[in-house]
Amino acid sequence: MSTSTLSRPRPETLRKPTSRTRSNLSGWGFAAPFLVFFLVFLVWPILYGFYMSLTGKSLTGANDSLIGFANYAEALADADMWRSLGNTLYFTVISTVPLVLVALIMAALLNIGLPAQWLWRLSYFAPYLLASTVVSLFFTWMYNPQLGLINEFLTGIGLPRVAWLNDPNVAMWAIVIATLWWTVGFNFLLYLAAMQNIPAQHYEAASLDGAGAWRQFFSITLPQLTPTTVMIVLLQILASLKIFDQVYQMTAGGPGGSTRPVVQYIFETGFTGYRLGYSAAISYIFFGLIVVISVMQFVITRRRSA
Amino acid sequence: MTGSALLGGGLLAAGLTGCGGAAQAAAVQDIGFWHLLSGGDGIKMQAMINAANQANPGFKVHPTVLAWGPPYYTKLAMASAGGRPPEVAIMHASRVPGYAPGGLIEPWDLDLLAENGVTSADFAPRIWEKSQHNGQVFSIALDSHPFVMFYNTDVAGKAGVLGSNGQLQEVSSPDEFKAMALEMQKVTKAHGLSFGYLGSGSQMWRLFYTLYKQHGVDMELTPGQPMKVDREAAVESLEFMASLFDDTIAAQAGDISTGIAEFARGGSGMLFSGVWELPTMKKAGIPVDAATIPTLYGTPASYADSHSFVLPRQLKLNEDKRRDVYKFVTDVLKGSLSWAEAGHIPGYQPVVQSQAYRELTPQIHYANAADIIAYDPESWFSGSGSDWQTYFAENVQNVLLGRDKAAAGWDAFEQRTNTLLSRPNPV
Amino acid sequence: MAIPTLTRPAPSTTTGNSLKIRQPRRKLTVGRIAAIVVAAVIAVLWLIPFAWATATAFKTETDAAAPDVTWLPPSGFTPEAFVKVFQDGNIPLWTWNSLYTSAAITAITLVISALVAYALSRIDFKGKKVLMTVIIASIIIPPPVLIIPLFYQMLALNLIDTSWAIILPQVIHPAMVFVLKKFFDQIPRELEEAAVMDGASRLRIFTQIILPLSRPILAAVAIFVFIGAWNNFLWPFIATNDGNLLTLPVGLQTIKSAYGIQYAQNMASALLAALPLIVVFLFFQRQIIKGVATTGLAGT
Repeated sequence: MSTSTLSRPRPETLRKPTSRTRSNLSGWGFAAPFLVFFLVFLVWPILYGFYMSLTGKSLTGANDSLIGFANYAEALADADMWRSLGNTLYFTVISTVPLVLVALIMAALLNIGLPAQWLWRLSYFAPYLLASTVVSLFFTWMYNPQLGLINEFLTGIGLPRVAWLNDPNVAMWAIVIATLWWTVGFNFLLYLAAMQNIPAQHYEAASLDGAGAWRQFFSITLPQLTPTTVMIVLLQILASLKIFDQVYQMTAGGPGGSTRPVVQYIFETGFTGYRLGYSAAISYIFFGLIVVISVMQFVITRRRSA
Repeated sequence: MTGSALLGGGLLAAGLTGCGGAAQAAAVQDIGFWHLLSGGDGIKMQAMINAANQANPGFKVHPTVLAWGPPYYTKLAMASAGGRPPEVAIMHASRVPGYAPGGLIEPWDLDLLAENGVTSADFAPRIWEKSQHNGQVFSIALDSHPFVMFYNTDVAGKAGVLGSNGQLQEVSSPDEFKAMALEMQKVTKAHGLSFGYLGSGSQMWRLFYTLYKQHGVDMELTPGQPMKVDREAAVESLEFMASLFDDTIAAQAGDISTGIAEFARGGSGMLFSGVWELPTMKKAGIPVDAATIPTLYGTPASYADSHSFVLPRQLKLNEDKRRDVYKFVTDVLKGSLSWAEAGHIPGYQPVVQSQAYRELTPQIHYANAADIIAYDPESWFSGSGSDWQTYFAENVQNVLLGRDKAAAGWDAFEQRTNTLLSRPNPV
Repeated sequence: MAIPTLTRPAPSTTTGNSLKIRQPRRKLTVGRIAAIVVAAVIAVLWLIPFAWATATAFKTETDAAAPDVTWLPPSGFTPEAFVKVFQDGNIPLWTWNSLYTSAAITAITLVISALVAYALSRIDFKGKKVLMTVIIASIIIPPPVLIIPLFYQMLALNLIDTSWAIILPQVIHPAMVFVLKKFFDQIPRELEEAAVMDGASRLRIFTQIILPLSRPILAAVAIFVFIGAWNNFLWPFIATNDGNLLTLPVGLQTIKSAYGIQYAQNMASALLAALPLIVVFLFFQRQIIKGVATTGLAGT
């Protein structure tokens, strides 16, 4: 990481003390606008949120007094909280694999050099530009048990209808499929960019040695992509843990709470259930989880580049 | 929305809401009005709003329709907490206990109401009682909308279960009811009864609570204490419900619209549904009549709720707008005959007692529901469109599907409720 | 990292690349044909949701709800759903709300982030290391943790249901500061030395030398931030309740039951909401893809 100290002696060496002050002033001056927003709308809420988690604060403004860690104790004993965490982790696990694999396949296909590049790129990536509400509307309609395209297709080939969003066993998969369609384009781009950066020499040498395309893929491309894969997996995990939009919009956490992710539980406890303080506590437990995973990510990537 | 709305949106967004109103007394007051009525109800409500706007050039009511259910109530609470809520909103009467104690809604001024021609005498006793909290009136009921039984008079006639007055025979026990349903099933060759419930805790709750209250018992939810309930009555009601979905009496599983569609095309003789589905029934063209759900356990009871007008708490109260709200609400009440056409029983008695209303069939056949209304047990978390009804679904759906025992499902729900009750009361 | 070859230009920065596809001798092997087929199948699958939504949106409501599910409606195609949506709904208003809030967010983010990134890159000032650490550490903070206290803060500031509530919290992008800083680090210092010796102020150096050289990265950041702001659901959903202030994603959420079960209109609304960014994408494919890939590496 580069520092900004100039390595050559500056003409103003004689006036060092003043220029130091000037540097400080201009440095903080440049940083000030950002800092104002940063402190007011990020740092302060983080600290105040923690304070709120130590009170029983309600949406109506009642119950303002400190109650220590009672909220945290309650949260750790709250079956619904664990359930929503479990749902979130379940979603993360079952969605990360396809989101990485499909992206890899898409990028590999394009990397071969197909005609009409723009068409593939558009098709695979365009969904990423949609708002979650649009995606949810599209898929809720396609998942409609009686009138949806998917069930129509299933009955067309002789399979029974599936209650995509109403069957607790299936609902999470329905969400995964919608999420896959929506966001795989991003991972696809990252993979494509990384594949571009693999030096052609490697492939040329392997061709000379007689290695076929498949062999080259598994022996050259994949290994070279390992850093990218690690990064994509970790980014994906962190993004999946924060899931809220499409679940709230398609199933509202149902059926029977089987898809409710932890962010939705935070939202419900605070805004539907009025208990802002308790909800804040749950969100800090969630925060702790994210920090742990982020640190793990940091350690893993450090170790790789070491 | 037109181009002026775009500009207006931009201005509003810059924070200039309501523009220094007092100086422009001659200007038309904009009244924000939130409700959750859509479909046929939504159209009728819009007509009533239009009528009120036309009759009152001094103000213009702008409705915003939000999704029915927890999202509506969450947003209303957040808006009221935020200080910039609409000037008036619709709320189910059963939800008021979650808003009034915390000060999220403001009480109505009875004098001002009287000035506009509406007094407590204009409402049925149970409904007026429900409007109050701590001696103050927090909601003005537009209607009561019970959960009733629609029946196909054709099918019923062929099944031989019509009484001499052309209406359905009286049945007074679960077995009699099932026998009647089976007779109807023989006529339709499909099912005797339609009731779709999949995924809807509210729908399941409405039927359950009717049956439960017919046992003549109560349910009490007091924060800090376990739920007070007659477990036997609850389990018996659930068992009865589950026994209906044997694919002969009623389809094993279907959602609300499937149930309605089945009845509307003559696939069954009876439908348990809210009165709000009446327009759909009439449109379907089947010979339909209605009555309150038969008293199977001794005490007449009918689950119902009321769409009621409430006054969300304003940070800066605009007196003129507040007065306009009273005028708007009372105008709507007086014109609520059209609301009755949508199936609801108007809350405003002068309309209910009018000749025009008496001539509405089948509405007049279930108007007695207003006297036997069973409102939801009161608490900050119960009521129409509450998460509590969702929890009901979570525990009871499997009972109705035959996958769980009624006792087990009920105990799980009771436990969930007790957990809620043991938590600190946030209002 | 990348070794220039005969077939590809060398990437100009370590974070950017041209995403050009290498074009070796192209033989139409079985393998290539198979690849094209598979790619095409996936593309078709990926386009189906759009196609189905479009087909539905151009049907009459009756056809859309007909138990017989078909691509071609018996009554023929009609734009009536779109007409209804325009008449009854608020799509234009919501689009406008999304537009100006996203534009404001992007503009403010760019300004404040570039300023602080420059300071972190070029100026040696006391406490710089601490500031850098704090900013980088804040990248970890997931937005959902902030919603409760931010809501309460907006409540206290009486900003709920104003567009400021939407805009202000969204201008903080610590990851983008990092991205910008890395870019600035690579601009050769010689370019500024002359100006420094001439006595030019930091601000002038920043605006007249650094910024013009940074167009690509500024564009990339702007694109990423704009798309994120445009599509953001959770925070605007919480911050606004007033129908006039809703952004497109949030407003769209409210139509789902306001219209009852009107499938054609639902799809028409969804398509109208999807349109702006898709159209922009069609025109600026290259820049958008590059911008998202570049900045996405640093952001999450």
